[in-house]
Amino acid sequence: MITDMRPIKKYLILTLVLGLGSILPTLQAQNDLQISKAFDQYGERKGVVMVELTDEMLNGYDFSLFKSLTIKDNPSAADFIRKCLVKDEVGAKKVKQVVTNGVATSIYLQLPRKGQFYRLILFNEVFKPEQKITLIYIESKNDSEDVLKLILKKK
Amino acid sequence: MRFKMKYKISYAEADRLIEKYYEGLTTGAEEKQLQKFLMQSDLPDRYKPEQAIFGYFYHKKAKTHVSMLSYMRWTAVAAIVLLIAVGPQLFVSTNQSSYAYIDGRKVSDMRQIKTQALASLVDISSSKDEVKESLKSINDTELIEQQLDVFSK
Repeated sequence: MITDMRPIKKYLILTLVLGLGSILPTLQAQNDLQISKAFDQYGERKGVVMVELTDEMLNGYDFSLFKSLTIKDNPSAADFIRKCLVKDEVGAKKVKQVVTNGVATSIYLQLPRKGQFYRLILFNEVFKPEQKITLIYIESKNDSEDVLKLILKKK
Repeated sequence: MRFKMKYKISYAEADRLIEKYYEGLTTGAEEKQLQKFLMQSDLPDRYKPEQAIFGYFYHKKAKTHVSMLSYMRWTAVAAIVLLIAVGPQLFVSTNQSSYAYIDGRKVSDMRQIKTQALASLVDISSSKDEVKESLKSINDTELIEQQLDVFSK
């Protein structure tokens, strides 16, 4: 009788562990990042566009999570995001950084994988025709390098 | 293990109960004890006739009973743990599916959301060319002039 119970226990425990293992990493992987504060602080303000897409296709991009923040005429927001990025850079691969007059205006970060997701942070600031910041956070099951190539290829 | 020990009786005790059983003198509790003893798989061959009488039917019944109970108990545990872990996630994902905020106004129209998402991607992808353009705009002559200016001051 006892030996009959063991495979059931094992099977259920295994299912439980696998189930939790696949679900828990998806619990807001972005929350461990400083840039989440930027989304929280500026997302719902005037002059700002914030987008969140979950499990959607975007012109051939397959994203598990896509978040973007576009802020116009707000240099202090740019400074805040840059400070967040300095912290998020730790452990990440800096794919690109453009520094203009001593200030980083473009930063692409390839973050360490979290569970099954590759993660990317893209930041860009332009001053013409107006000051505009774009911050994008991406989670994808596809390799972040492929996602990056796709993004930079398409225009 | 504890479960198994509870019903284990010695061969001598079993023999005594079997004899009593054939004489029709066993109590209900003793028969149960005997049935459980006979369910064991590693018994000597001499118990086979008795196993055939009791064991087969009882074994079948007991196995179904215990495994079903065990299955239900573990399924309940698994369900509760999964519910605790996944419940908030389900709640969050239903509330946080695709959306956009434009000037503080929430938008749930998918076409509009995607347009805004694509616009932000274009902002990023165009920055690559912008860098190239800005590099192109500084031609060599200007650069040399700028560098010479530093020394002429």
